[in-house]
Amino acid sequence: MTTYRVNGRGRVNTGKPVTFTFDSQTYQGFEGDTVASALLANGVHLMGRSFKYHRPRGVVTASSEEPNALIGTTRAGEGRFEPNTRATMQEIYPGLTAESQNKWPSLKFDLGAINDRLYMLFSAGFYYKTFMWPRSFWDSVYEPIIRKAAGLGKAPTHVDPDIYASRYLHCDVLIIGSGPSGIAAALAAGRAGSKVVLVDENSEMGGTLLSEPSVSIDGQPAWEWLEGAMAELDRLPNVTRMTRTTAIGYYHQNMIGLVQKLTDHIADVPDGAPRERMWRLRAKEVVLAQGAIERPMVFDGNDVPGVMMAGAAQTFLNRFGVLVGREPVVLTSHDSAWYTAFDMADAGAKVVAIVDTRNEVAQALKDEAQKRGIKTHLGYTATGTKGRLRVKALRVNPVSNGKAGDATHLSCDAVLVCGGWTPSLHLFSHTKGSLDWDPEAKVYLPGHKTEDVHIAGAGRGLWGIAAALEDGAKAGAEAIGSLGGKADVVAFEVTADRTGTGITQKELPTDRSAGKAKAFVDFQNDVTAKDIRLAVREGMRSIEHVKRYTTNGMATDQGKLSNMNGLTIASDALGKEAPQVGLTTFRPPYTPTTFGAFAGYHKGAHFEVTRKTPIDSWAEEHGAEFEPVALWRRAWYFPQAGEDMHKAVARECKSTRESLGIFDASTLGKIEVSGPDATEFMNRMYTNPWTKLGVGRARYGLLLGEDGFIRDDGVIGRMRDDLFHVTTTTGGAPRVLNMMEDYLQTEWPDLKVWLTSTTEEWATIALNGPNARKLLEQFVEGADISAEAFPHMSVVECTVAGFPSRLFRISFTGELGFEINVPARHGKALWEKLWEAGQQYDICPYGTETMHVLRAEKGFIIVGQDTDGTVTPQDAGIGWAIGKKKPDFVGKRSLDRPDIVAPGRKQLIGLLTEDPKTVLIEGAQIVDDPKQPKPMKMIGHVTSSYWSESLGRSIAMAVVEGGFDRMEQTLYVPDANGTPIPAKVTGTVFYDPAGDRLKVE
Amino acid sequence: MLLIHCPYCDDTLPELEFAYAGEAHIARPEDPSKLSDEEWRDFLFIRTNVKGVHAERWRHINGCGRFFNALRDTVSDRFLTTYKAGEARPDTTDLEAAV
Amino acid sequence: MNAPATSFDAVTVTILPPVARFNLRIAPSDLAAASQAFGLSLPTKIGQGEQNADRGAYCIGPDEWLLHAAEADQQAIVAAFDEVRANTPHSLVVISDRELTIGITGPAAAELLSVACPLDLSRIPVGGAKRTVFDYAQVTLIRDGEDAFRLEVWRSYFPHVHGLLEVATRELALGL
Repeated sequence: MTTYRVNGRGRVNTGKPVTFTFDSQTYQGFEGDTVASALLANGVHLMGRSFKYHRPRGVVTASSEEPNALIGTTRAGEGRFEPNTRATMQEIYPGLTAESQNKWPSLKFDLGAINDRLYMLFSAGFYYKTFMWPRSFWDSVYEPIIRKAAGLGKAPTHVDPDIYASRYLHCDVLIIGSGPSGIAAALAAGRAGSKVVLVDENSEMGGTLLSEPSVSIDGQPAWEWLEGAMAELDRLPNVTRMTRTTAIGYYHQNMIGLVQKLTDHIADVPDGAPRERMWRLRAKEVVLAQGAIERPMVFDGNDVPGVMMAGAAQTFLNRFGVLVGREPVVLTSHDSAWYTAFDMADAGAKVVAIVDTRNEVAQALKDEAQKRGIKTHLGYTATGTKGRLRVKALRVNPVSNGKAGDATHLSCDAVLVCGGWTPSLHLFSHTKGSLDWDPEAKVYLPGHKTEDVHIAGAGRGLWGIAAALEDGAKAGAEAIGSLGGKADVVAFEVTADRTGTGITQKELPTDRSAGKAKAFVDFQNDVTAKDIRLAVREGMRSIEHVKRYTTNGMATDQGKLSNMNGLTIASDALGKEAPQVGLTTFRPPYTPTTFGAFAGYHKGAHFEVTRKTPIDSWAEEHGAEFEPVALWRRAWYFPQAGEDMHKAVARECKSTRESLGIFDASTLGKIEVSGPDATEFMNRMYTNPWTKLGVGRARYGLLLGEDGFIRDDGVIGRMRDDLFHVTTTTGGAPRVLNMMEDYLQTEWPDLKVWLTSTTEEWATIALNGPNARKLLEQFVEGADISAEAFPHMSVVECTVAGFPSRLFRISFTGELGFEINVPARHGKALWEKLWEAGQQYDICPYGTETMHVLRAEKGFIIVGQDTDGTVTPQDAGIGWAIGKKKPDFVGKRSLDRPDIVAPGRKQLIGLLTEDPKTVLIEGAQIVDDPKQPKPMKMIGHVTSSYWSESLGRSIAMAVVEGGFDRMEQTLYVPDANGTPIPAKVTGTVFYDPAGDRLKVE
Repeated sequence: MLLIHCPYCDDTLPELEFAYAGEAHIARPEDPSKLSDEEWRDFLFIRTNVKGVHAERWRHINGCGRFFNALRDTVSDRFLTTYKAGEARPDTTDLEAAV
Repeated sequence: MNAPATSFDAVTVTILPPVARFNLRIAPSDLAAASQAFGLSLPTKIGQGEQNADRGAYCIGPDEWLLHAAEADQQAIVAAFDEVRANTPHSLVVISDRELTIGITGPAAAELLSVACPLDLSRIPVGGAKRTVFDYAQVTLIRDGEDAFRLEVWRSYFPHVHGLLEVATRELALGL
């Protein structure tokens, strides 16, 4: 195979050949190559197909803005396929497998290219026009086809097996971009002693210097100087350099998101190594030294493989030692491409011609061209290309008075284009900094700044290495100055600098029909100059509309190459200056970013916090099934061999009601309310009266929002005159504490009360069932828990099994019940002791499902299940919990609001299905007449529904309009098939309405 | 992620330590029972939704735990100042001019 | 409990043995009474700490202190505060079991914490403490030395926090 590698050029390690595959063919490159440079070294330009027309496309850049050469890569190990990787950024390593995209059956012969022949159908706005009619086709025909065709590359099919890391970082000065201006800024700031971070998305630092070895700085060749500068920065302990690190977004107050690629360039990835790391960096000062992006030229056939950016060709030659063609034509409107021609000629290429759209260029450039025997055509346009899979010739015409003259064909194997340079201001735009139009240079430059940021070098329109170095040093010094320090002025002596100038333009003039030209503006999304003009003709006035109508700039490169050309053409079509047409907004991320980088450690076991109780491990050992409740995982039920949930729950309910059940209630929120004004505070927060609650007694507490709706509930025990042990629902704990703190701090700061969460200080074990006391009393010391001494709704401090305890007698099941709080570390030990001793009563561990059934049988509500934020105490049938004589409490005033006292509110009632075996579906809607015409009037919904083993039938609770006045009425609830199930309205206490079961002696 | 100055800690800290808590300077009436239905409705539900400088409450929930007040420009998302609960809204004419 | 859970040259993560731990809430004007009851002069500024032998006191809110003492002293400290409560209202809550403590020591200690703690750790003085976040968990971070931290985390969040520290320690050990 022919090699395009040039001896003595480039920075790749020719001592280390690297073998990889592209579309199953094996290629060789060298360490330091990208996939693009290695393929070009093998003469391969064709690297992809475009999105819409499936046109063959070659690589056009050498950097991260590459729109065409997108590849899929497969790294070692299952599931490590990734689409849409830019071949210009992916470094090669032994064993890398890469493939082209958007083609079938092959890259060279792609059936999808039929779209190219049908391009008249696919013009701007084709989505909005083509698929309009008939309307019924949208769901069945158009959308499925579009969905199938849409998307670039193929999605990975496996769960991402890789590890992603994240880190916070704080520094004085962050410098983004390590070209000459970035390095100069780093030297200035670094020498001043500040904490400096210098990042670059490339695998090595240097930026333009890597492509311009002939320049000399401070008497040294560029690369020697670069090596010295890197060594100096590395010696400074206050400077951190990070390569392969992309600044993806610039957020408020100098927060920058950085994504560092760690292992995508390594063949043997160490076990446990993260693939990428997201840095959330906060800098006091930021220097943006991102340089400029070369603009393509817009002419017919400008997308044929082999047509590429001149600056890219220069990079491939000087950094990678690769000639992108042996007989290139240079097409330009900027001096910079002339140097590409000179470097290529000096490296042995036969440069066919330099075609410049300008009529005049500097004499020195013409002399240099002549010296190398390169023909020059000034004042020319390009009007077409020949070749399909690779360019064979460029059609050029002289232009006079704006008219293209007779065409000539220049045979070539590459066309190297430069339509000017666009300062790279994407990150600056993220800050909402304003962009000022420079009418001379026809570029946007940074204007008003909203952050502590400095822009240096080509990013603010400067050109040449001397200017970039000087400006970078100045920006670095300014950053130090803003920090209150002082940086020494750094000066650089630059010789053989390649300064230059140029112009930018709309699509090039042509002698052919402009309507037939395929002059591409956006390569990836296949948007042509004609599309943009069509959009303007069809009424789009703002560039934002033109963008969305044509999809110009909406590809994965976010229009880095296309936006300015699109704007220039649109403003020409509108007859306005560019700033009057606008500029589309750049948004993060700067380049496509993996989901993994954003997820970081949050996958698998660390996807989110899973809170576990001190008794969780016992439940796991005893075969519990778990369910998530808020962030907790709670034992749901304890199936025995052969049991499903239904059977297990029926057994757990029966055992608890007949003898003894044990339940882990540790997740209940607990708040210590303490201080001389604790009673007053409780009176103001909760609906219930607290003044007369004696020490050692407990009461059900109901908490409303100020709007009168139920927020939370729980049993509250009085430990001392000035101390309450408040319990909350599991999910409500943080919310309730926050609400209490809010009132205490901001409404009643005069109250002497303090709140402390003790949720996790205590493990809480509930014992329920007629044998609960018999089991418990043998463990209790320091308290008499007999029925007389320790009645229902009591609390006492004692020891249980030797552990200090707050022991409650309460019941959420309707059975004799106790809740034992012990310091969390003892929770499991106590549970095990109770479990062992409880064997004589066939003690049964039960989970949350049984707890739900047992409480529903008693009509106890669960806040958040039977209430939904629109339910008042009266609606829930617990108006008794309101202290009628209290002058005020949170939510009291709202209980008199007109809507709250109006008739027809949804009220909580019981439902008993006519067929006792039928269990209603929770959440199902309720109607009073299933025969009414549709849409039927929904009058409520089922909030709780269970099989009750104790009652031998199903039970349910529901909120229903005017429910309290519907007792004995039959309502209808659909089953899973929509068949209405009749059910009769009842009260909500299904089991032991007299409460006799609490009275166990 | 914003940096927020906690007036109690007298320190400027990451937004992750803070929680938003609604509009500021809406005091709970001394005696709600004296309010008309309309007045009570306004207290409960009517908020200003400012475009510009908004007085709002934050809580340093993962820090010192205090509720405090802030003036934030809802257009630029910038904090002009923060101050302790109970303090009067400061004059920020100068700060606003600088935004 | 004191065995290193995770370690390489630059950082060691240890689960520390339990201590007597209290949450003290008291008006700053009454602080002298609390200092006397605890036997240690309590710091007055948020973020500051005071230590003497096995007693430690850290100011974590305008009227809030985290107190540490030897486990054996827990009852005596509760009793000492009980005595002053009538004249000097306050709230002393035992939270010895609420949190678990993780020790993070070594030259890479701060770097390890930076995987999930958004604070600029260079601003936390040695001897100081701060309530903050580590990933999704609220924690109290105590700095014992340039390279030595203690991280107190609610018991149920411990597996998440400790698990992340293990993952990150392996990552640091790889040096990537």
